[in-house]
Order: sequence, then C-alpha cells, then structure tokens
Amino acid sequence: MAILEVKNIKKSFDKEEILKGISFNLEKGQTLSILGSSGSGKTTLLRCLNFLETPDDGTITVNGELLFDGANKPSKNDDLREKRLHFGMVFQQFNLFPQYTALENVILAPKLENNGRSMEEIVEEGKTLLNKMGLSDRMDNYPHQLSGGQQQRVAIARALALKPDILCFDEPTSALDPELTGEVLKVIKELADNHTTMIIVTHEIGFAREVSDEIVFMDGGVIAEQGTPAQVIDNPSNDRTRKFLANYLK
Amino acid sequence: MFSTVTLSLLEGFFGTLKLFSLTLLFSLPLGLLISFGSMNKNVVVRLPIRFIIWVVRGTPLMLQLLIIFYGPGIFFGVNLWGSGDAGRFTAALVAFVFNYACYFSEIFRGGIQSIPKGQYEAAAVLGLTKRQTFFRIVLLQVVKRIVPPISNEVITLVKDTSLARVIAFYEIIWEGERFIKSAGIIWPLFYTGAFYLVFSGLLTLLFGYIEKRLDYFK
Repeated sequence: MAILEVKNIKKSFDKEEILKGISFNLEKGQTLSILGSSGSGKTTLLRCLNFLETPDDGTITVNGELLFDGANKPSKNDDLREKRLHFGMVFQQFNLFPQYTALENVILAPKLENNGRSMEEIVEEGKTLLNKMGLSDRMDNYPHQLSGGQQQRVAIARALALKPDILCFDEPTSALDPELTGEVLKVIKELADNHTTMIIVTHEIGFAREVSDEIVFMDGGVIAEQGTPAQVIDNPSNDRTRKFLANYLK
Repeated sequence: MFSTVTLSLLEGFFGTLKLFSLTLLFSLPLGLLISFGSMNKNVVVRLPIRFIIWVVRGTPLMLQLLIIFYGPGIFFGVNLWGSGDAGRFTAALVAFVFNYACYFSEIFRGGIQSIPKGQYEAAAVLGLTKRQTFFRIVLLQVVKRIVPPISNEVITLVKDTSLARVIAFYEIIWEGERFIKSAGIIWPLFYTGAFYLVFSGLLTLLFGYIEKRLDYFK
C-alpha cells in the first residue's frame, strides 16, 4: 500500500486556480521529485501537504489514515497540528530559529513534544543527526555563524528529528550560492539511499534524475507527466515537459 | 545649603522614580495586550483599539493628565481619585500607564510584525502550538528588535514624569521650584537637571548592556 495517497487536490488564491486537481501516490522509501516552471503550482502542492495551505478540495491519506478530506474540512487549527507531524518540511530559506544553536534548533520540537523520552536521549539523537549531516563541529554555533549550506543541513536534521513519515523539500538549494548546493544535495542523496520517503520540489534536473524513483512534472496546476526519471526526463512524451527541459538543459 | 537642597531634591526625585517605575511596570504588559488587540483579525476589536491609540498618541500627555484627573468630577460628579496626594498619584499613574501603553503597543506591533513568516511556518510544521511559537520562537526575536525604540521611550518617560506637576503631583521639579519662593534662589530648579541626567545615563548603560546581551544572535 502506498504511504501517501493524494487525490484531486484543488487550491485557489483570489479566484485563480493554482492546483486544478492533483492526484498521485508515493510508496514507502521512495523519492518523488516535482519539477515544473515557476507558477506551475509545485510549491503550493507541497504546502498543501503540510497544511501550510488548506486545500479547497481533495483528500490526503497517509498510511491509510485519512488526514484531510475536502468534503469535511477541519475547523480548528489544533486538529492540523498532529496531522502535520506526518510530514517534515525543509524550506528554501532554511527558517532556522536564530536565537538557538544548531543543536537547540534540532532538539526544540522533540523536547516540546514531551512524549516521555528523556532529555539525554533527545540530545543524543540530535547530536547523531547533526553528525550524519557532517556538522559534528558546528552543533553549538548559532545560525548566523553558519554558511547557507550548513544552515540547510541543520534544517534537514531538525525536520528528521521528529521522525516524519515523509520528508518534504521546497527548493532546498535555490537560496544557496552555487558552490554550496553540492553539500546539501549530497545529504539528500544519502537520505534517498537510506530509503527515506521524500518529496522534493526542485529546479536541479540532474539531481532529480539521480535521486528520484519517480518524477512528477507540473504545468499550469495539473500533473502534465509522471513516471520514472528515465521516462520523464530522458524521454518525455509531453510537449510542455520537452519545452521545459529544453530550457533548463540549454 | 547645597546639601540641604540636594537632600530635598532627592526626596522629590523619589516621587519621580515612583511614578516612573510603576508606569513601566504596568504599561509594558498592558502595551503588549493592546498590541494584540491592534493586530486582531476581527475589525470590531481592531478598529476601536486603533482609534484609542490614535487619540492617546495624538493628544498631549499634559492634557490627558488634566482630563483624567478633573474629568470624572466635572462630567460625572464623582470624586474618583479621592482627595490628597494619594489620589493625585493614582490619577497621574493611570494617565501615564495608559499613554505609555499605547506607545509601547505600537513598538510591540512593529516588532511582532517584523518577524518573518517563515519563522511561524517552521514552528508550525514542527508541531509547535501557537503559545509555544510565541514564547519560544517569536518573543525573544521581538525583544531584540524593540530594545532600541523601547529604550528611547523609557528615557523620554523619565523626563515626562515632570508633566504630572499640572495636577500637583509632588516630584523633583516641584521640589526645586519651591526654593524660589522659600529661599529666593533659582539654582535648585536648574540643579534638578543633574538628577535627570544621571538617571537617564544609568538607563542608557542598562539598555546598552541588554542590547549587548542579545547580540549573540542575529
């Protein structure tokens, strides 16, 4: 069974329909990349999964649990809070908390979650995550003392600390200097190799081909084409996909 | 003579300090509450509060002191503040707290609204409640941003306390002026400036220290 089932997600802003009915499934341990030009709705789709935006219609099911049903929208904010934790989110602008060190950023949410784990355990786990990100010597640094690439890796560790079912990335390297994208992509690649379930919105076509099991190409609020990287990137059947790729690979 | 004057001015300065510190104590939290009101999504809450802020910031504090002290008696025939010094002090305190709370609320509002949306979104996807988001994430960042404008207001408050003289509240200028009549000398009145200077100097140092302490993050 798919870990994530998205059916017919629709979303409009000010009467302009950004998502016109998006459906896809994601299998556990797989990596899905969403490609598409600016304004195609890919970031909005990701934000709908995290409930940073509330979809107008459609359903979102994780592990067989119906998290969102457009026909029966949740009314209170607190209903969403628990459901959000199925998804981790890594933002384009990192959004680290500036007044906390790298380690404090990672352990803040697990600490507040208060599910009976001891403080030592939480701290140990935070350190392990930062080690995995190659930041063992940066744990006590504040965000402004870190490079963009390091900040983004802290943000990835922070998202992983809550053990989400699905980790989402919103253009994780778009705000980085070109020489810093490599270190972040490498970490994401390692996560993919370890079968972390991920959805990545990205402009890095080459990277998407390398790490993804599945590619979705979005255009004008719909999925124009979907398949393996070999199908969508190397051998696109859709005109718009071809045009998009031609522009990027130029 | 000098020490006599100094001692009695100190006594007057005690009144200044009392009004100053109690005004801060009450106006800071009240200002935070008003700022929440002025940012409320509901216009029925937001508009009246914005209106009150406009009136309070748009009229002289001296006038507000007079209206608050004499108004209840003149318009409603009630002696709200009682008689004597305690009543004058309470009326002055109410006027100052209200006035400064409105100024502080605008500083808080500016500080809170300057926090990037991404901070709220990051907190939301990490499952933090609204309360946790405010107290753990937003508040300290707001404090860091508002220390300079707050320090400005606080130093202005030290000197504004002298306005309470219009309702015969006893403070240092009052004490200094007394020597003109009682001893025919004016220098005690000028000398009061030294007290204000020393005190605002100390406050400047204190706020500089706070700013420095918050310098560990950007």
